[in-house]
Amino acid sequence: MKAGKVKRKTLVAREDLVDRLSEMAKQRGRSLYDTVNEVFEAAIRAERMGLDLRGVVEERGVLKAARDAGFILGPESLWYDLADLAYEKARRKVLESWFEAGVWLAKRYVTGAVGDAFEAFKRDLETFMWSVPELSIERMGDSVLVRVISPRFTESFTFLFAAFLEGALKTFGYKNTSKEVFRGRIFLEAVKVGVDAQK
Amino acid sequence: MPKSKKLVYVPGDVLDEIMKVSRKRGESISKFIEDALKQAVRVESFGYSMEKAAEILEVIRAQKVLGGVFVPQEVLNYMVEKAYEVEREGLHTKWFENGKLYGKYLKERFENPVQALRSFLEATRWDLGEVEATVEGGVVKLRCVSTVLSVEGTELLAKFIEGAVDGLGYQIQRVDCVRGIIVVEFKA
Repeated sequence: MKAGKVKRKTLVAREDLVDRLSEMAKQRGRSLYDTVNEVFEAAIRAERMGLDLRGVVEERGVLKAARDAGFILGPESLWYDLADLAYEKARRKVLESWFEAGVWLAKRYVTGAVGDAFEAFKRDLETFMWSVPELSIERMGDSVLVRVISPRFTESFTFLFAAFLEGALKTFGYKNTSKEVFRGRIFLEAVKVGVDAQK
Repeated sequence: MPKSKKLVYVPGDVLDEIMKVSRKRGESISKFIEDALKQAVRVESFGYSMEKAAEILEVIRAQKVLGGVFVPQEVLNYMVEKAYEVEREGLHTKWFENGKLYGKYLKERFENPVQALRSFLEATRWDLGEVEATVEGGVVKLRCVSTVLSVEGTELLAKFIEGAVDGLGYQIQRVDCVRGIIVVEFKA
């Protein structure tokens, strides 16, 4: 929308917000009028598209966390196709690469400056796996129970994702005590290394 | 204590739109204004403009609608390499068809689908260092550059982009694809 071609009108807004916007405009070398105009146009467009801009901070957090964790976002069906073909071609090596990816990701949390590394890993993984209807990682004392249910997973993707989880659990100091993996379903039970599994 | 107020100028047609949207929401105009300004200040603290914030939300929504999944980049590269040895042509076809689906979705959802495609690639393919879309003489040139993409990964992404352009309803004029660089030129 070009300034000067349309009639200007006035509206009343909170002074602190207008002042902040004025600072933003100065930083960008633009006028307050242009900046206010841009803000309202974007808000109107978002409204028309049914978007709630209040969610942007959370969504941005998801993308940033995934990016920092070395994940990439892409079409599910293509990823599953790749997993199937690679699994068929080099099963052992592909499983190893997923296991190593789990080790790497968990190590990132273990060696990072986060408070409870396991909790941070769990929270991020649950966020990244937004398309999985059920993913729960429960820590109970020295044990961990992992349950994943996703009818859309192919068989090979299920096994690969299970290898990834096993790699992560190992890095957090757990060893598997029980494992059930079927297409679309992963159930892992692990216990801290050095702790009697029967306890 | 009520906060102090200030008068600001806005284009008349924007104010008309604000009134329409507020009416539709069943809220007062001042509520819409305050919300919009608050969000602008909030997203700005993350280094975004309101426009960029809306783009990010829309891209994520598209991913959720079309079945976007996060996978570790390293294993993806490995899988691409292995899968390529088995079924190169089949993969090309699948990536093209999937791109076409995305293109059709973007065409339906966005006023400027070419920019939406650029935003989509920029927001989701962070292995791409540069993504730009320029228009010259009616021809759109979409250029992606990556220093980390393999030959196989570049070729598959190029097929996806070709499919997306096809889905947008444009005619591809030229595709240039070498390791880490994809240039697709097309016109309406």
